Amino acid sequence: MADDRDKAGHAFFEKKIRPVLVRYCYECHGEERQESDLRLDNYKDLMRGGATGPAVVANNLDESLIIHVLKYEDEELQMPPEQKLSDEIIDDFVKWIEMGVPHPDSASVKIEPRKDSVNWETEREFWSFQPISDPPIPTSNNTNWATQSLDHFILAGLEKHGLTPAPEADRTTLIRRVTFALTGLPPTPEQIDTFLKDRSNNAYEKLIERLLESPAYGERWGRFWLDVVRYADSNGLDENIAHGNAWRYRDYVIKAFNDDMPYDQFITEQIAGDLLENSSDKQTTNRRLVATGFLVLGPKVLAEGDEEKLAMDIIDEQIDTIGRALMGMTIGCARCHHHKFDPISTEDYYALASIFKSTHTMESYKRIAKWNENEVFTPESKALFDDFNVRIEKLQQQIKEETDKANKELLTRLKTDSLPEKPAEQYNDEHRQLLEELDQQVAKLTEQRGETPTAMGVKDAQPVNLNVHIRGSHLTLGKQVTRRMPQIFEHSSEFAIPDSQSGRLQFANWLTDESHPLTARVMANRLWRWHFGNGLQPSTDNFGNLGDMPVNPELLDHAAQQLIKNKWSIKDWHRWIMNSSTYKMSSRFDSSNSQQDPANALLWRFPVRRLEAESIRDSILAVSGMLDREMGGSMLHVKNREFLFDHTSKDSTDYSSLRRSVYLPVIRNNLYDFFQLFDFNDASVINGNRETTTVAPQALFMMNSPLVEEASCQLAHQLEALSPKQQIPRLYQLALGRLPTKQEHATARKYLRQFLVTPIQTVSVSTEPAEDESVTVSGEVMTVEFQALKLLCHSVLASNEFIYIK
Amino acid sequence: MLRSFNQSDCCPPTSRRSFLKSSALKSTALGFGHLALSSLIQDSAFADRTNPLFPKLTLEPARAKRVIFLFMKGGPSGVDTFDFKPQLQKDDGKELPFDKPRVQFGATGKLMKSPWKFRPYGESGIMVSDLFPHVAKCIDDMCILNSVHGTNAAHGGASLKLHTGSDNFVRPSMGSWVTYGLGTENQNLPSFVTICPTLAHGGLKNWSSAFLPADYQGTPLGVASQPSTNAKVKYTQNQRVTRRQQRIQLDLLRQMNQQHMDDLGPNQELEGRINSFELAFRMQSQVPEVLDIADETQETQRLYGLDGDMTKDFGRQCLLARRFAERGVRFIQITHSDSYVQWDQHADLVKGHTKNALEVDQPIAALLIDLKRRGLLDDTLVMWGGEFGRTPVVQGSNGRDHNPEGFTMWMAGGGVKGGYKYGATDEYGYYAQENKMHVNDLHATLLHAVGLDHTQLTYRYAGRDFRLTDVGGNVATDIFA
Repeated sequence: MADDRDKAGHAFFEKKIRPVLVRYCYECHGEERQESDLRLDNYKDLMRGGATGPAVVANNLDESLIIHVLKYEDEELQMPPEQKLSDEIIDDFVKWIEMGVPHPDSASVKIEPRKDSVNWETEREFWSFQPISDPPIPTSNNTNWATQSLDHFILAGLEKHGLTPAPEADRTTLIRRVTFALTGLPPTPEQIDTFLKDRSNNAYEKLIERLLESPAYGERWGRFWLDVVRYADSNGLDENIAHGNAWRYRDYVIKAFNDDMPYDQFITEQIAGDLLENSSDKQTTNRRLVATGFLVLGPKVLAEGDEEKLAMDIIDEQIDTIGRALMGMTIGCARCHHHKFDPISTEDYYALASIFKSTHTMESYKRIAKWNENEVFTPESKALFDDFNVRIEKLQQQIKEETDKANKELLTRLKTDSLPEKPAEQYNDEHRQLLEELDQQVAKLTEQRGETPTAMGVKDAQPVNLNVHIRGSHLTLGKQVTRRMPQIFEHSSEFAIPDSQSGRLQFANWLTDESHPLTARVMANRLWRWHFGNGLQPSTDNFGNLGDMPVNPELLDHAAQQLIKNKWSIKDWHRWIMNSSTYKMSSRFDSSNSQQDPANALLWRFPVRRLEAESIRDSILAVSGMLDREMGGSMLHVKNREFLFDHTSKDSTDYSSLRRSVYLPVIRNNLYDFFQLFDFNDASVINGNRETTTVAPQALFMMNSPLVEEASCQLAHQLEALSPKQQIPRLYQLALGRLPTKQEHATARKYLRQFLVTPIQTVSVSTEPAEDESVTVSGEVMTVEFQALKLLCHSVLASNEFIYIK
Repeated sequence: MLRSFNQSDCCPPTSRRSFLKSSALKSTALGFGHLALSSLIQDSAFADRTNPLFPKLTLEPARAKRVIFLFMKGGPSGVDTFDFKPQLQKDDGKELPFDKPRVQFGATGKLMKSPWKFRPYGESGIMVSDLFPHVAKCIDDMCILNSVHGTNAAHGGASLKLHTGSDNFVRPSMGSWVTYGLGTENQNLPSFVTICPTLAHGGLKNWSSAFLPADYQGTPLGVASQPSTNAKVKYTQNQRVTRRQQRIQLDLLRQMNQQHMDDLGPNQELEGRINSFELAFRMQSQVPEVLDIADETQETQRLYGLDGDMTKDFGRQCLLARRFAERGVRFIQITHSDSYVQWDQHADLVKGHTKNALEVDQPIAALLIDLKRRGLLDDTLVMWGGEFGRTPVVQGSNGRDHNPEGFTMWMAGGGVKGGYKYGATDEYGYYAQENKMHVNDLHATLLHAVGLDHTQLTYRYAGRDFRLTDVGGNVATDIFA
């Protein structure tokens, strides 16, 4: 009997299936070519499947990819590509699968699973999945140099290669370095003076403490974090509408850094702030709601016509961001197939995706789609808001009554039963005046009341478990998965997700668990990168197989332990770094060290680094006295969800503020020119490792932009009252944080004289505001002396020393 | 033949895996991108390896040295321009006999014939509608691509797809890829310019270098809502400083920077910044020269329609494109878009398309003629098209909806066959059917024309090697002479 069935099956295959395979498939999936690693001309390879998974699974139509592609279910994956086969042929394939995939070779050939099925034990040996170690502190020959634990690691590395650390930097250099490092601003001459005069032993430690306490600290370090979470004040992508309430998240981040919120709490609030135990304090509740804006800030294709695709695209963006920002893992790669380089399976991906599918991120997917916002009233603001509403309602009641009276009067006057089309136009003066006045009062109160305060953020939705999307398409579904953490992590099983919950809270707890091998490593490495310009593991956002190997793995683990041991305090971590001998080294060049280690990978000197875009702008404004230090609040000039650009290309962005750069609107697709030029984050994708490029348009900006021109002018105004002898030293102190050398002083004076001897032509000063520019040059008549001084100031602001910190 | 897949954020073929894992390539200061590229191009003899924009020679033969892309914002209709469909003319008012796409932009009705007459032109006898009588005369220099198709039915997504290859991820624009691959021939001008770009529907993303270094980002001149006479490169002029003063200023700056560098030891970055000021100084005198068209003859100005009210705005853009091209700028995009979505005729097709075509027809023909008579057409690839086409079925009473399923673009010069039609849509012009050319294929073909292999032009970012064509792309080799 069995033989008969086999025979019939084989005959069916030979008659109905093989000829089709030969005719339509072999060209690309045969002996010569194996597109997508798929070969269909022998039983073994047929059963093994291709890069996207099994082509045929006996008795399982859902998991047999060949059926999905033959049926042209997915617009992107259709076979054969030229023309869909007839329904008859497709039915044969269905029948064949249902028959159990009979094939003449099935008895003689052993099927081997694809190599890419994961061997978890082997994969866990990869360095970044290993538990964070607590390596012993190395010993070194030089026993005098090290002051902090990290110094021993650095020194051991240097000695191993016969390198010597640079001597400690002088105090003038140090105060400039640490002030920029912690606040992103230059030290004032007075601050420098105070520090230089402080001869106490702990003068430097006190300086660090003062800077950590400065609100400018959060403005700088919060901004780093905003890069990692692709913060923006507009959606970008296809429909660039305003994230009118994103600023609440930005202010949350700045405050969290200033308050030294422990990092584990910080990321827990951002992933699951809405799910944390109820706080009696409404402000705490609101803060946590605002924090979940992290999940909503991504760019979205808001005009996508395929709503299911849009939902999955948004989830993908969330997973990609969380993966790279918090774990240095490119989990998003597993959307379409098992990750090719890292041990993340599509099942892992859809298990995570299910968590976010169980989360309410969007209010509506209808074009133009709307993201979710949560109400963030405080009791006080709610009372005030309600009070306004009561007053507005009262007025509206009064308007209604007065309108009735006016109508009645009108009917009587016109001797009719029906009102004219526009009765208001015919009211008598008294009624009309009263009604207008009432309307105005309503308008005024409404304006004073404002909109309901809301913040971008999520809440839990009905929990669901997704099916694997074959090749990432929602049109070809595979088997269902349950919500869980990725399998590669050993502690994943300890964080089971209850059926009734999305799993975000468990996910956050899992991430911040001390046994998670990546969370602390990735953050410690980010902090190191932001201090030294290079991470201990250079590819800060990728700790996977395609990422770099850590330069100093023991130190990286030690730095990660440091973060955990100090209860995830980031300020403590700064203290640890900045009080080290490593950090206090000068940037002095040493040709022997340089020959050995030209890239300074082992840190034999403090690296010379250009300031970030924000700091360059803030410094220009600060030294010229133009910087506005007000903190927080919205900086957009359009309403929430309004277009920054609609199809008219009319530009509704406004960068005319003199506030710190962190507060300027971040408009995707139309970043502020200055940011765009000086390597600001793209603002659509995460980036913990900005580039430093040097391109001619930057120089054009420094030479010709109204911002630098006006700053030079204001800087010169600060100097003009001084005696000519004092002007140049003061300029150097303000802009470069030091006094000029004798030679520099002489050069600058010669330069000023050059303009005085060869008279400057009268320059026509335009008072017209430059086109879409943040700062307009003031129209003023300048003396020749002043112009010369201004040109000198301009040169100093454009100099390398102004924007490179040693 | 396997068609290209571009489902989403896919990874490179596994064959690259072992290659990527080799540690020698992984931890270099320059980053993988530059290395990947150096295997693809040969540095010219005097290559300044520190300058990312230094012109590079390609390993593949380059047919074109530069690209001019004429972007018709909004989506011009294929069946009313270069995709003649006799069956559509016959079946006017009938139901479409097959399914409309699963995802459509708006509601549409029955088949609507083209209101324009088509005539054969040139030796090739290719049919062109009366919307483009001037361009039609150049038909024997043009290669009509009738089977282009994309994935997104909305302006923003489709525009991003066309410019960057992706409608849902942030990717470098095609101009950035080209300059990344080729550098540029004139260091005193930007390598990639986009004139009067539209700020909506992707905006800057359409000329951004995304994760490629900033050296490769496009330089915008003006915006779509402003006349092209306002198109300038920003910050090339300081209103309060004369050129002579600036020279003195730069001399002092050089002195200060040199001193600073002497103190800190050799440093490529600091040196690069010193040089960038000199380059900027030259750039600010050269850019205005390109934009000043006073030295063009009357005849040339008239050819481009600068004397006509309807044609002068786009005519100036076309003329500027030629001026940038002849000065060695690598990638030049010009955009036909007014304060509305120019070619987006959901209603009033006749009125809208007539006006639009009138504005661009003569200038585009002028550009082709002018490039040809100056010997520039052979090595300049001109590409024309919108982010999608329009449906052969009616929308409302007299409009057409977006159609990314099958639309028409064309190329000229740069080694493509003239008087040639490639690919076809179905009998009504709805779906691409024959020699289908996905946007990835278009990009692969464009890179091929400039001598770059789209599978090799990669940049390593966030853990994988990215390409303009993602994991898809087939070169339409048939279109090259």
